[in-house]
Amino acid sequence: MDLLNQIIRHPVDPDYALVAARGNESANRRWTLALLAVIIGSLFAVAALQTTRAAPALQLERTELINRVQNAERAQDELQGRVASLSQEIATLRAAALGDDDAARALEERIDALDPVVGNVPVSGPGVLIVVDDSPSATADGRDRVLDIDLQVLANGLWEAGAEAVSINGHRLSSLTAIRSAGDAITVDYRSLTRPYRVEAVGDVRALQARFVESSAGAWWNDLAQNRRMRYEISDVKQLDLAADPGMVLRHAGKATS
Amino acid sequence: MIPLLGLLAGIVLGIVLEPSIPQILQPYLPIAIVAAMDALFGAFRAYLEGTFTDRVFVVSFISNVLIAAVIVYVGDQIGVGSQLATAVVVVLGIRIFTNAAAIRRALFHA
Repeated sequence: MDLLNQIIRHPVDPDYALVAARGNESANRRWTLALLAVIIGSLFAVAALQTTRAAPALQLERTELINRVQNAERAQDELQGRVASLSQEIATLRAAALGDDDAARALEERIDALDPVVGNVPVSGPGVLIVVDDSPSATADGRDRVLDIDLQVLANGLWEAGAEAVSINGHRLSSLTAIRSAGDAITVDYRSLTRPYRVEAVGDVRALQARFVESSAGAWWNDLAQNRRMRYEISDVKQLDLAADPGMVLRHAGKATS
Repeated sequence: MIPLLGLLAGIVLGIVLEPSIPQILQPYLPIAIVAAMDALFGAFRAYLEGTFTDRVFVVSFISNVLIAAVIVYVGDQIGVGSQLATAVVVVLGIRIFTNAAAIRRALFHA
C-alpha cells in the first residue's frame, strides 16, 4: 500500500516546488505553454472524433458477423434438407432395385425392421423418459456430477431393457454414437449437452421401465440417486418423437446378386 | 488565461482539421490523453499553490505522455497491454482525483 499512499500524498510533481524555491521565473516561455495547450486540446478533439467515428464501424462489423452466422445456419438447414431428400431418394431407388419377388419382399421386411433399431429413420411411439442431473451439492471438480460413464450405463441399460430407439437431449443414439466427456461437458456425437439430461427411449411401455429398473444400470442409477443425491426421474410417456441420427449415412451399396 | 485559450484553440483545430493519427499510434492516444489530463490537473494545482512554472509543466507533460505510451507499448509486446493500460489509468486516475479534490478545496474552501 506504500505505492498508493505515495500517489495520494504527492499527486503534484515535486519539481514544481523545487523550481519555485529556486525562484528563476522566465517569462519568455509562454509560447511553449500555449503550444502545449493547443496540442492537448487537439488530442482531446481527435480522440473524441475517432471514437465517435469508430462506433458505427464496430456496429457494422457486428451485424456483418451476425449475418454470416445466420447465413451459415441457413446453409446448414438447406444441407440437412438435402440429406433428408437424398435419403428418401435412396429408399425409393432401393425399393425399385429390389423388384417385387419373394426374396425382395423378405429383404424389404428386414430393412423395415432394422431401420428404426439402427437409428436410420425417425421413430415415434410410447416409451419412457428419464431425466437425470447433477446433485445439488455438485462441486466443480466433478464430485456428485453426472459423468459420461453414467450416461453410457444408462443408455446401455435401456437397450438391454428392450428399447427400440434411444435419444439423449434430442440426439438419437445409434451403434456409432459416442458418449464422451470433453472438457466440462458431456458430448453425444461430438455435440455438447446442457444439463439436465433427458434420455428418451421408445419401446414396450409395459416392460421397459420395470426391466430397466431391475437391470444393473437401474441399480447403478439407484445408487447414484440415493448416495450421491443426483436427480433421477423415470416416467412413462405416451408419445415420444425421436429424430433420425443425422450421422447415419449410406457408406456402401451394391447390386444384389440373386 | 493563455493555457485555456490554447486548449480551446486546440479543440477547434482538431475538429476543423481532423488530423489522422497513424494506425500504429492509435492505441496510445487514450492513454496519452489521460496522462495529459493528469499533467493539466497537477499544473493547475501548482498554479493555485503559487509554484507553477512553465518549464516543469512542459517537461512533466511530455515525460508523462511518453512514459505512459511506452508502458502500454511494452505491455503490448509482452501480451499484457490492456492490463498495463488499466494500471496506468488507475494510477493516473487516483492522481487526477486527488488533485481535483485539492483544487476544489483551494477554490471553494470546501
